[in-house]
Amino acid sequence: MKAAGSWEQRLDAPRDVWAVFLQSRTRDPHIHVGDVHAPDAEMALVLAKENYARRDPCVSLWVVRADEIHATTADAAEMFDPALDKSYRFGGSYRKQQQVYRSAWRLSHRDEDQ
Amino acid sequence: MAENVGPHDDPELLARFNTRVASGEQIEAGEWMPAEYRFEALRLIQMHANSEIMGALPEREWIPRAPTLARKMALTAKVQDEVGHAMLLYRVAETLGRSREEMFAELVEGRSRFHNVFHYPAETWADVAIIQVFVDGAAMQTQGALRSCSYAPYARVLKRICYEEDFHIQLGLDVWRALAEGTPRQRAMLQDALNRWWTPIIHFFGMPDRISPHSEKMLAWRIKVKSNEELRQQFLRRFVPIILEYGLDVPDPALRMVEPEQRYVYTEPDWEELKRVGRNNGPKSAERLALRQAFYRQHAWVRDAVAHGAAA
Repeated sequence: MKAAGSWEQRLDAPRDVWAVFLQSRTRDPHIHVGDVHAPDAEMALVLAKENYARRDPCVSLWVVRADEIHATTADAAEMFDPALDKSYRFGGSYRKQQQVYRSAWRLSHRDEDQ
Repeated sequence: MAENVGPHDDPELLARFNTRVASGEQIEAGEWMPAEYRFEALRLIQMHANSEIMGALPEREWIPRAPTLARKMALTAKVQDEVGHAMLLYRVAETLGRSREEMFAELVEGRSRFHNVFHYPAETWADVAIIQVFVDGAAMQTQGALRSCSYAPYARVLKRICYEEDFHIQLGLDVWRALAEGTPRQRAMLQDALNRWWTPIIHFFGMPDRISPHSEKMLAWRIKVKSNEELRQQFLRRFVPIILEYGLDVPDPALRMVEPEQRYVYTEPDWEELKRVGRNNGPKSAERLALRQAFYRQHAWVRDAVAHGAAA
């Protein structure tokens, strides 16, 4: 186990486990859908196809050795919580501004129409 | 795995774990968990995995004998799904610290368990309809509830498994409908299959839970989400109407709905039979385990070829 307070870890998985990432449509990201056991990447892709792309749409599969994946620990989840008020990063915080802007814009156009 | 187990049930870690689970959080693979939680979760998931792969056996017997090509293709797809579920589940069980090889050895040597319903024969084509509608329907109640269980990797694969099980029920209802609307002989065959499967299906959910510190703990940890009886009632509410709609007889003359409580009363089945069957002493237990073991041995060369082919 890493020293207490460590925020980074390697996923614990047997060497023959491959994580499978599936892309449903070209516009979508690859999403982790599960794992397969395989001795090499080619076999992992074959098994991934059989196990995860039987029915639903799929345009691309990725496989990666699960024990090569570095991840943040569960304890580190709090580091994703914003330390400060981040409302300025969200559009919803600017609604009032948008309303003012839109009504001003409408008014000005109405003036031009007349 | 051992390095992630951490100190055994350190009171501070245990208290923190209990608080997290109680607030609805889920536990990821590799996180600290009480030894008893790990044991119970592994037992549950391993039994589920075993049941998927053993459940494929009674149905695969019917692939060559399916009445039409369409039925054959659908059944093949269903059996492939079940084996796929076993793959997903053994992998999840593996994250709790037991290797896939170990679990497979335990299964074929009869040292671990699988669901009671897969210890029975599938004698006629109508049995396929019963298995697809009622056995998968029963499994759906349990697995649907467990989608909110506390072990996140299990909850995630259950979403996909339930989606596919729903397809199996639809498929089964199509076979069911064809037989129920068919000739008197077909209807008689369906009724006969229903009669034979009724008790195993009532057994499926297990004995009504006694309120024990153990079951309370399992519920609090959300390794169990609903009681056996709650799940059985949920199943009966959804599936008894299907039998009645088609004018077939419910094989239990005492079955009736207590309207105000929306609860079915049924004849208490022989629970000794469930215990006996669960210990691999059912009508088909030995034969199916022997078949599983024979295939495991026969296919050893495929596993070897795959492994060595890659090394070469």
